Amino acid sequence: MRLPVSVKVGIFSLVVMGSYTYYANSIPQIESKPPQELSLEGGNVTPAQLVKAGEEIYKTKGTCEICHRIGQKGTRAPDLAGVGGRAAKMKAGQSAKQYIIESLISPNALLVEGYPPIMPAVDKPPIALNRSELWALTAFLQSLGGTVDVALNDIPATAGAAAAGGGGAPAPVSVPGDPKAGKAVYTGKGGCLACHKAADIPGSPVGPDLTQIAKIQTPDYIMKKILDPKGMGTVAGFPPGVMPQTFGATLTAKEYTDLVAFLLTLK
Amino acid sequence: METWGVARRSAWAVTLLVVILTVAGAFVAFGVSPADAQDAAKEPAYRQFPVLGSRLAVWAIAQLHLNFAAFILGVPIFAVIIEIIGWRTRQAQYDWLSHELVKLTFAAFSTTALLGALLLFLLIGYYPKFWGYMTSIFFPTYWIYALLFFAETFTVYVWYYGWDWLSGSRKWIHVSLGVLSNLFGTAILFVANSWVTFMVSPGGISESGALKGSVWAAINNFTWMPINIHRLIANIVFGGTIAAAYAAFRFLAAKTDEERARYDWMGYVGNFVALSAFIVLPFAGYYLGREIYAFNQTMGITMMGGFMSWLWIIQAILIGVLFIGSNYYLWLGMERIPGSERYRKYVPYMLMVLAAGFIVWATPRSMVVTLDEARAMGGTHHPILGFLGVMSAKNTAVNLMILTTFLSYVLYRRANRISTKSWVKTGMAVQWAMFAIAAVIVTFYGIYGYFVESMVRIGFSVYQVGAVIVAIAVIMVVDVFMFRGARSTGTIRWGTIAPRSQYVLILLAVTFTWLMGLMGFARSGIRQHWHVYGVMRDTSAEAVTPALGYASNVITLVTIAFFGLVMFIFWLGGLGEKGKEGAPAHGHAPPVIAGGSDGTS
Repeated sequence: MRLPVSVKVGIFSLVVMGSYTYYANSIPQIESKPPQELSLEGGNVTPAQLVKAGEEIYKTKGTCEICHRIGQKGTRAPDLAGVGGRAAKMKAGQSAKQYIIESLISPNALLVEGYPPIMPAVDKPPIALNRSELWALTAFLQSLGGTVDVALNDIPATAGAAAAGGGGAPAPVSVPGDPKAGKAVYTGKGGCLACHKAADIPGSPVGPDLTQIAKIQTPDYIMKKILDPKGMGTVAGFPPGVMPQTFGATLTAKEYTDLVAFLLTLK
Repeated sequence: METWGVARRSAWAVTLLVVILTVAGAFVAFGVSPADAQDAAKEPAYRQFPVLGSRLAVWAIAQLHLNFAAFILGVPIFAVIIEIIGWRTRQAQYDWLSHELVKLTFAAFSTTALLGALLLFLLIGYYPKFWGYMTSIFFPTYWIYALLFFAETFTVYVWYYGWDWLSGSRKWIHVSLGVLSNLFGTAILFVANSWVTFMVSPGGISESGALKGSVWAAINNFTWMPINIHRLIANIVFGGTIAAAYAAFRFLAAKTDEERARYDWMGYVGNFVALSAFIVLPFAGYYLGREIYAFNQTMGITMMGGFMSWLWIIQAILIGVLFIGSNYYLWLGMERIPGSERYRKYVPYMLMVLAAGFIVWATPRSMVVTLDEARAMGGTHHPILGFLGVMSAKNTAVNLMILTTFLSYVLYRRANRISTKSWVKTGMAVQWAMFAIAAVIVTFYGIYGYFVESMVRIGFSVYQVGAVIVAIAVIMVVDVFMFRGARSTGTIRWGTIAPRSQYVLILLAVTFTWLMGLMGFARSGIRQHWHVYGVMRDTSAEAVTPALGYASNVITLVTIAFFGLVMFIFWLGGLGEKGKEGAPAHGHAPPVIAGGSDGTS
């Protein structure tokens, strides 16, 4: 039986595309995941924990490894082996931690001779490290041949200000609440679980699942939605007018901020 | 005839309807008052597309839309080139072919508009905050886009329907309409490119992401012009490969020698145009890569050496297939040209260069190895083959492959001709000398690149590319003059080419379309977790940039969908011809080509 031309051409095309697909599936599969935000402010962190966190940032969000090596000379950027000890001697009147911090946020001001000015300021987008992350990264770099003595207060308060911004988006909202207490409000006085599921807290599916609410909504939206659910509109596919309009009156200011702080942990 | 007539009228009506709906939708969505803007602020940043997820839905539709857009932009560029050749050389078969190709774009026009509207609705619905931001920057360009779309649509329709009316002494008006419609189409491409490239390399905005001055600064960002050039050339290649694939399909289904000759010739012309544009495409790619580095070194390094590094190995394999396939088609084609026997001895050597280039280009810098293997090799780089994995070797390989492909074409071009010029020996010597000089320059800088810093090495590719371009230009000019009025050794036996050559044409079309999908993923993927790089972060649950395996699965499914729809369009084309049997052909009767060419085409 002779196959029609369209069938033969179709099979041939599928084999060609199948070969490419098979090959692409058989090579190393590497995903690029968005970096996690690290917050150490207000927490008790040991130097060892700080260095470990810094090493993680060095390898992931900081993207330092693209150009820098530790114990190996690179063509794009200096070898960082021993930088913790070396840094104190690089610029007169500057301590090791001051030199490292300035190198991170104003790299072109301290360009090492023989290397091109290609390093971006790490507290600015697209790397956009926050203060905690700069603190940890500095500690890690100090640990490479030096003594870790950097404190959070050594990191300029303005550093990392642009980290979470962008797209004309509002500046990040800092919520002073306690997430743990907020969870109690969520499951207790607020009664949120009557309509919402949230991560490991089961809930009725009357309203949207809040498991990743902090990832898909801004803090501003979450805060307004609790106080004025009707005014903020109803998520498509859910019945309108169900969420109580009374939280602004029934929750205390602390309970409200605690609840928001808890919701912002749901990522 | 009536069936095709109805189909054409339907296509016309659907296109118009979609354009009107899209423009109206865009203005309703974006023509916001301050009060509306407050309401919009209450919108969620993202919505979830059922089952598939929003990212996959947008990805698939965007890729499909882009394929069709390339089809309706690439094929008319190809068609008008063919029409001009027919007009100037007075060879009717070119005019027929041009008409045939424009006919094919008709159904694709409405499909492209439908997919564009669908993409817009998906972005407004599922990524409202992102689209709102893009609108805050690019709103003025929406008007320009809509107006250009209307202008192009109407011009193409007048171009097609006026084919008979604007013939004879008025042919120049008709050709001008074809050129004009392509200018409108190219302008549309440039406007859409400004949105896409802004997402990769935003410009003209403050740190907070707000537009600082005129929208022009946002349009004219680092990657805008390189992408414009790259896509324009790629569209010509795409138009050529699709036209050639269509011809191949018709050749394989042909019942008579006359049909086979006609579609053999059509396939050759399609492949010729595609190959001519394809040869310069890598140069446009270098320009784009350089501008990405100029915009942001981190982005450039991530693209070439980070999580995307293996993507370029797949790209190398695809381009290797395209080079070897194009050459193989030319070599098979030479078998139907009397007099080509004298050049067949060169084929094994050319194949060796192409194969070696392919192997070098597809050699990865680092290998997937076990711990024991890594210890035995002293790392993930092979001690010898690892040197072939760097850009110095790859740039050298691709430039030599381009030179070899050009040599194949030169031999094909003169296969049935013998120059009668008195200075033929000198001309030939100049041509071979140019090939040799270019090869030496390319190889020299390829080797020298191993001994200098990367910043210096990047600049070497300019010398390599320059040497190849100069060689191609000089050799071609000498060739044109040397073979003017040449003695013929026989006419091309159109239609007698081996059927496997037609599968090569289909291979080229499928591979190029798949490659477009892969490069689309590369362009989009280098933004990683940013909607607009460094300005607007992707905070959705789908912010992960997927691995190549997943990406290739999506690309394959979209390519299958695209070719499924294109097959439907081809079927419509055949349906129109069936309807015309026994009816007057409106002056577009298929030409008789079998054995009738003097080989000058």
